[in-house]
Amino acid sequence: MKRPVAVVGVGQTHHTTRRSDVNIAGLVREAVDLALRDAGLEHKDIDAVIIGKAPDMLEGVCQPEQFLAGALGAHMKPLLRVHTAGSVGASTALTAVTHVASGLYERVLTVAFEKQSEGNAMWALSPNMPFVAPLVAGAGGFFAPYCRAYIARTGAPAHIGPLTVVNARDNATRNEHAHLREPMSLEDVMNTPMLWEPLRFGETCPSSDGAIAMIISSGDLAKKGPRKPAWVKSGYSYAEAMWVPGRDQVSPKAGQVCAKHVYDKAGITDPWNQIDTAEIYVPFSWFEAMWLENLGFRGVGEGWKAIDRGDTKFGAHLPINPSGGVLCSNPIGASGMIRLGEAALQVMGRAGAHQVEGAKTALGHAYGGGAQYFAMWIVSSQE
Amino acid sequence: MSKLRNVAVVGFAQLPVVARDEHRTATEMLYPVVRQALQECGVHRDGIDYQIAGSTDYMDGRPFGFVAALDVMGAWPPRQDLHLEMDASFCAYYAWVRMQAGECDTAIVVGHGKTSEGDPQRVLNLQLDPYYQAPLGLDPTSTAALQASAFLARGAATAADLAAVAARNRNNGVRNPDNQLRSPTTANELAQSPWAVEPLRQGYLPPVGETATCMVLAAEGKAETLCDKPVWIHGVDHRTELQTLGARDLSRSAGAKLAAERALAMAGLAKAGDVDVIELMAANPAEELILLEALGVDPRAGKPSINPSGGALCANPVMSTGLIRLGETFRQLSGRAGEHGVAGASRALAHAAQGHCLQTNIFWVVGSQRRWS
Amino acid sequence: MNEPPKEGIKYVETTVRLPYHYVAGDYKALYLLALKEKRILGSKCDTTGKVFVPPIVASPESFAPCSQLVEVADRGVVTTFCVVNIPVIGRNLELPYVAASVALDGAAISIFALIQECKPQDVHMGMRVEAVWKPDGERQGDHEDIQYFRPTGEPDAPPETYINRL
Repeated sequence: MKRPVAVVGVGQTHHTTRRSDVNIAGLVREAVDLALRDAGLEHKDIDAVIIGKAPDMLEGVCQPEQFLAGALGAHMKPLLRVHTAGSVGASTALTAVTHVASGLYERVLTVAFEKQSEGNAMWALSPNMPFVAPLVAGAGGFFAPYCRAYIARTGAPAHIGPLTVVNARDNATRNEHAHLREPMSLEDVMNTPMLWEPLRFGETCPSSDGAIAMIISSGDLAKKGPRKPAWVKSGYSYAEAMWVPGRDQVSPKAGQVCAKHVYDKAGITDPWNQIDTAEIYVPFSWFEAMWLENLGFRGVGEGWKAIDRGDTKFGAHLPINPSGGVLCSNPIGASGMIRLGEAALQVMGRAGAHQVEGAKTALGHAYGGGAQYFAMWIVSSQE
Repeated sequence: MSKLRNVAVVGFAQLPVVARDEHRTATEMLYPVVRQALQECGVHRDGIDYQIAGSTDYMDGRPFGFVAALDVMGAWPPRQDLHLEMDASFCAYYAWVRMQAGECDTAIVVGHGKTSEGDPQRVLNLQLDPYYQAPLGLDPTSTAALQASAFLARGAATAADLAAVAARNRNNGVRNPDNQLRSPTTANELAQSPWAVEPLRQGYLPPVGETATCMVLAAEGKAETLCDKPVWIHGVDHRTELQTLGARDLSRSAGAKLAAERALAMAGLAKAGDVDVIELMAANPAEELILLEALGVDPRAGKPSINPSGGALCANPVMSTGLIRLGETFRQLSGRAGEHGVAGASRALAHAAQGHCLQTNIFWVVGSQRRWS
Repeated sequence: MNEPPKEGIKYVETTVRLPYHYVAGDYKALYLLALKEKRILGSKCDTTGKVFVPPIVASPESFAPCSQLVEVADRGVVTTFCVVNIPVIGRNLELPYVAASVALDGAAISIFALIQECKPQDVHMGMRVEAVWKPDGERQGDHEDIQYFRPTGEPDAPPETYINRL
């Protein structure tokens, strides 16, 4: 990065099935106000706004950033709208980071949201298009076969998926923003209906309303702020084509390449030991084991074993998703930025009841499309 | 303005704009354009560091329409990538920011969207706030007519001016082979065309059209190896305003004015009139006059040359119209504009807009010489 | 003047209706037309010779055009699958059903397909399957011309032959 960049404010709404107390603008504004207050800043301190969200069909508004310009405080400012499928929240924040790193902007407000209750998510994500056979029911139907392929390749036992949910739900009990906060036992998860075998209802992310905003600042101004910032050590977004013969949807190359680039720039050679906690995008249970391998935390075929041993639980060697993650809150377009924001809160030491003790270096990660888009950052308590 | 990195437009390709390509999907239209842009630069796909695309799901009539574009952009092995739900001119802006940050030296910027598959008037109604304005059934032609009325009511122009501006664009457009409308006309003829929404006549508005576009950007050091005459970016700025139609003076574009002032300042130019060519993304003549007023340029002066390409009135492929303006300035300054070339042009201004009534505006200042030494 | 209402309106219910007239694209159109004749078309990469089904104009792998259309078999191997227990919008399927990735013989990538004429628990990776077509005269040139795939009873394909065609 051309110059140091840091996160100086994070604001997050609570995530729930339906935020009937606010409209779309109100939801977004809530996160923006929280982030500004967190940073001790006002709208006049912001040079530009970068907003992201998933498909506009989810709310039924085309390019909603145009009508949200007022709620975002973007009047007479530069405003960009990002959309990179499920990874969008993360790629949006990284776009803001580049703006500040360039030296052209001092402080950029970045926002991501989804108000899924406004529309019909199943229809918005899997409409019945002409010239293709309607066969895939929702994202779960698309990703379940790849979970099966992972299981077949690694010989992972059947309880790993449900165990991942047990850990996530346990973590969410400590996160006041999380949508699903009731703990679940292994038996509870196993007893939920099988939707897309091998994925059960309990192994699937919820549909949430929620928003998050962050203030990305130049290093110089960050040092003057009221709080200890989270320093952005590196961040990249990568994408790969869909119909590449031999493309591995279980461990996509774009994810591996992106992780390596992010680690290299941050000086990380041994992620399993150098990273203190990671917020990774796990919308379906088995993806935690898959991403542990794709991100280089564990070797091929070893991801599930770390979960089985309890190494990824809260308080263990590498707590994964101490916030509860996407399995417990999923305002789609915001989910990626929540991963990055939670990673920032951890290294700021401000994650509250789900703070990982002594966290100094954290990974925030998101993916999207047919496991084609990847965006991640490494944040640190040290400049 | 502190010294920035010299970045240039080194390649631009588009398909001729047509009402509807019955044979190709949006991504099938994009593939040959990406190939052509790279070929003209003599660069292998692996020689490009970054890719960014502009499209919108509602215009595509499907969620994640841009994901399919990865398959024709050469996104294998995996590439550093971004997609904006914006006109591709704004994508070019972010590629430029990335180069300023030192994160890449070369980039392809693409715009795609099969406008004819949907109904842009109805789609863009959904862009208005869903509580008060969208339910009124306002479409972009009605809101543009509100803006044109406000402009005329202020006494800034007459109905005859609108016809004259439309005719100038249409007649310029005859010489541009990429245009959808290429027949000559007169102000009188256009002023006789039926009302679209008063005070805008059908002859003042572009038809629905579609294309695909690809621009190649490169930083100093690389740019010279990819193009005989790189066109250097001297300044750029973009601004948005409130959408609420009642909350701003529709007869003026404060956001365009600010963006233009800042872009000119970055370029070290005192006024917009100092450039040779101006390419505006004005979807009707009132928008063009409002933008020229914001720039402080008299449309009757004859110089700078305004929309020698024919502008958005002759071809308005949504998501690419703005990038084409920047592409046109590249063509003008690199001697690639053919019959619509402006002799001796060495500096130009390119604009793009998004949203109802010029809500969001970007201005580029480009030149045939490097800006910073 | 009347009193203002005590409570606001909580929700506005709006149904968005937008017409679209999608273009299939020439390759897709020829592919669909060929289904009518019980033929499955793919496109062949000019550089690598790999075949894509349904046909696409360019290989995302090599970035080269796929100029030639070729026919592939209407049988292949299940590379992976899931058992679906929730209904799909726009299709009337008995639950549960098996949605599988099927790599057709001769194709470099797999298609999503329905597996029937066997119990869901009998479907497995590597299972050989064949297309079951609608009867002559009923095929319309759309995806439902292949009603589903069914097991052929052939021996399973060895994993190395399909593991890279998920």
